[in-house]
Amino acid sequence: MVWGIAFLQIPRLFRTESFRLAALCATVFAACFGVFILVSYLNTTKALQDQLRTKINDDLNAFVTEATSDGTDTVVKDIAERLAGKRSNVDYYFVANKLGQQIVGNLTMVEIRIGLQKIVLPADGDSSTAATDEDHEIWGQGQKVPDGSFIFVGQDAFKMLSAQEAMINSFLWFASLAIVLAIAAGLFLSRRFLSRIDAINRTSQAIVDGKLASRMPLRGTDDELDKLSANLNDLLDNNQKLLESLKEISTNIAHDLRSPLSRLRQRLEYAQENAKTTKEFRNFNEEAITDANQILATFAALLRIAQIESGSRKSAFAKLNLSAVFERVAGAYQAVAEDSGKSLVTRIVANVEVVGDSELLLLLVVNLVENAIRHTPKGTQITFTLQRAANKILASVADSGAGIPEDMRLKVLERFHRLDESRSTPGNGLGLALVAAIANLHGTRIELQDNQPGLKASFTLPSA
Amino acid sequence: MVNTAEMKILLIEDDDQMADFIVRGLKEHGHVTDHAKNGKDGLFLAVGEKYDVMIIDRMLPAMDGLSIVKMLRATANDVPALLLTTMGGIDDRVEGLEAGADDYLVKPFAFAELLARLSAVTRRPPINNIQTKLRLGELEMDLLKREVKRAGKLIELLPQEFKLLEFLMRSDGRVITRTMLLESVWDFHFDPQTTVVETHMSRLRGKVDRGFKFEMIKTLRGVGYRLLANP
Repeated sequence: MVWGIAFLQIPRLFRTESFRLAALCATVFAACFGVFILVSYLNTTKALQDQLRTKINDDLNAFVTEATSDGTDTVVKDIAERLAGKRSNVDYYFVANKLGQQIVGNLTMVEIRIGLQKIVLPADGDSSTAATDEDHEIWGQGQKVPDGSFIFVGQDAFKMLSAQEAMINSFLWFASLAIVLAIAAGLFLSRRFLSRIDAINRTSQAIVDGKLASRMPLRGTDDELDKLSANLNDLLDNNQKLLESLKEISTNIAHDLRSPLSRLRQRLEYAQENAKTTKEFRNFNEEAITDANQILATFAALLRIAQIESGSRKSAFAKLNLSAVFERVAGAYQAVAEDSGKSLVTRIVANVEVVGDSELLLLLVVNLVENAIRHTPKGTQITFTLQRAANKILASVADSGAGIPEDMRLKVLERFHRLDESRSTPGNGLGLALVAAIANLHGTRIELQDNQPGLKASFTLPSA
Repeated sequence: MVNTAEMKILLIEDDDQMADFIVRGLKEHGHVTDHAKNGKDGLFLAVGEKYDVMIIDRMLPAMDGLSIVKMLRATANDVPALLLTTMGGIDDRVEGLEAGADDYLVKPFAFAELLARLSAVTRRPPINNIQTKLRLGELEMDLLKREVKRAGKLIELLPQEFKLLEFLMRSDGRVITRTMLLESVWDFHFDPQTTVVETHMSRLRGKVDRGFKFEMIKTLRGVGYRLLANP
């Protein structure tokens, strides 16, 4: 990726959900850490100060006791010894007489007053004490003894203060590091997230641009994005299937309408050139109307299937007597079957009720019966059955004709699909597609089975 | 084609070509037609003038055909109305009839079909007079006994043949199309791929006409059938 683009994308990075989450985590983390540090800082500081004060008090009390019992001189001697021995570079002493004049001590700026004093020693004031060139703070306490002298004991607070400082420093370091790390992690996660979103976007764009076979990349991690991509891919697969069937249907429409249209055209042209009398014209005209009607019937059937598939008829579903519908069909087609040299045997149980659209269910069985009559040889027996079985009904139209090869049974339910053998029989190849659409609207499907010999088309419905 | 008396017809249709085709055809058959191009004008004419029958397209600008019929029926206007619908609309028929239309016809249609249906809807059923016997020439039908006689000779008919003949007898010599028979006798509102009407008609003919002096059931090629009392 070009850096310029990456730079421009940074604002978008900040806007991502994962970055926001990372920032929120960083803030909460920093706040918790801050509270923790503050509490330990305060506790530690208090302990250190107490320790310092205790030490000063103990020392001072010892000197005051000594001065009270043995006199101030003993104390002065003692302190002078200590200072001479330099046993410590953190201890400070100051003793003044009752006139306020210093008798002994390694401090000069002590105020003659009782209580805690903080004295700042400038840097390089005394290189022999703490080996630093920084300002030193001395904490100390003064006390009067009975002879009027003033004793002051101090301690260098450097250690305590530097410990405090170190704590503050490490806190700041930790906090900045934590925030930087959190932001970095946020950026990293967002980038990763965004790169996957980008991949999905790029794929979508590719599909929009016509690369219909493109699919969302999958990582196999089964996370949310993977699931989203998988779902989108399923959607795309479905759409592609629909698109392909639509393409096939359009091709079939074009193909199936071309022959009657060209026939119509030829007839009209032939009539124009050859018809001499009105009667001849009338005959040609009649044939042309028949052709046009066939084309219109195909369109009407397509529209009807589309309307059924839209599901709008479902709102008009009602309880109906399916036996009566079947009897009507049988009554209409018995004679038709006989006249074409076939027999129609009915086994219709009376008063079978279902919920549905009676007109469409009629259309369904009419199509099955008409198919059985039209696409079978003379002498075929057609069995038209309506039975009850447990809490459902079983309907079927079976014939003893040539049947449909197993691999074609699903195909014939599609629009315009016709077996090669039936191409010569008039028809638009939409009958079984209509049957399938009606069955589908009623929540069932048409099963095409081998009737040994012949074809058995059946469906079930829940009985009402 | 033999025709009934001259009728005054209102046509409400926005498609000029379709309207022209209908008006011209009706004129050739001796009818007078007023043509309105939209629903509002149509309703205005329907309310103001006296017509024998109305032909109303379902889809119209300004006001659709269903609303016109509903409005007219609400004002006790009972001029027979024939709705024209586009193909594929399987819900149209029920909606149209519920709105108060007397019949419906799917576009495109054969003109003979329109004429036959206009003739059928304008034939008033006898009021408060439930017929138990029908008679046409030498043909008699007893609706209670379910018996048919021609020239006094009993004819055995199957239930569907009886229904078919009853419909023909009630049509009073008018032209009955194949589609009208499918709708009335079988309640089939689609075009069958097999010869349902022809098969039953040929069987009925075999019983009603065979062996008699002349054929009462006449076939009008490409149009339909008529039942006539005289040869």
